[in-house]
Amino acid sequence: MEITRETISGVAVLSPVGRVDSNSAREVEEALLPLFDGTAPVLVDFEALNYISSAGLRVLLLAARRSKATGVPLALSGMSKAVDEVFKISGFAKLFHIHANRAAALATLGKA
Amino acid sequence: MSRLESPVLHLTIRNDLPEIGRLAAAVEAFCATHGLGDGIAHSVNLALDELLTNTISYGYEDSGNHLIEMTLTVGDGRVTVLLRDDARAFDPTQVADPDLDAELDDRPIGGLGVHIVRAMMDGMTYRRVGEHNELTLTKLTGS
Repeated sequence: MEITRETISGVAVLSPVGRVDSNSAREVEEALLPLFDGTAPVLVDFEALNYISSAGLRVLLLAARRSKATGVPLALSGMSKAVDEVFKISGFAKLFHIHANRAAALATLGKA
Repeated sequence: MSRLESPVLHLTIRNDLPEIGRLAAAVEAFCATHGLGDGIAHSVNLALDELLTNTISYGYEDSGNHLIEMTLTVGDGRVTVLLRDDARAFDPTQVADPDLDAELDDRPIGGLGVHIVRAMMDGMTYRRVGEHNELTLTKLTGS
């Protein structure tokens, strides 16, 4: 799958494009988890994502644990209605710092 | 014997994860053709993804090729999905819900899939028929 990687204002921004399912979750895992070996705060921007399954949630749960263990901040942004619904029914919304959009997330993470 | 035929989508996939994407595209196109909204298509596809990922990843005791049949029917104000496979017996209606209030470190890494299926669908019934699992899902369409 396509995953965009950028560094903006000292924040590592990862944007998966399209679907994160059992077929593509590993690619997200391999792109995301190593970011917690660094020092830059991590933002996963879902602006270009229209689908996530429990395989994708699993990767985000691993990322949240790495964030907690390493102290590297993690935030999420830009959730579509479908992605937001999956987060809510899974009880995941309260486990993450979720922002409406990338700009709002960067404003917060930049100060972290 | 005149009877209006209900729209039906029947697809057989192989026990291979990329097949789920092919199925999802077919379900999306079918839902669009028959005036079912994006929300219905997303719910059905997410439920199918979770169930088929389980079956394909954990359901087979050999490494051989297997076929999984999916039949989607529209009518009576609902979408009905029948999944039929020859994987080991597995009844998802008996899977316990995960603890959604657990804190980060206590969250199990797996176990969310069936919970998501329950949340997405309005009904789920399971039968073991000979060597096959037969799972019926229903989603009310409100029309």
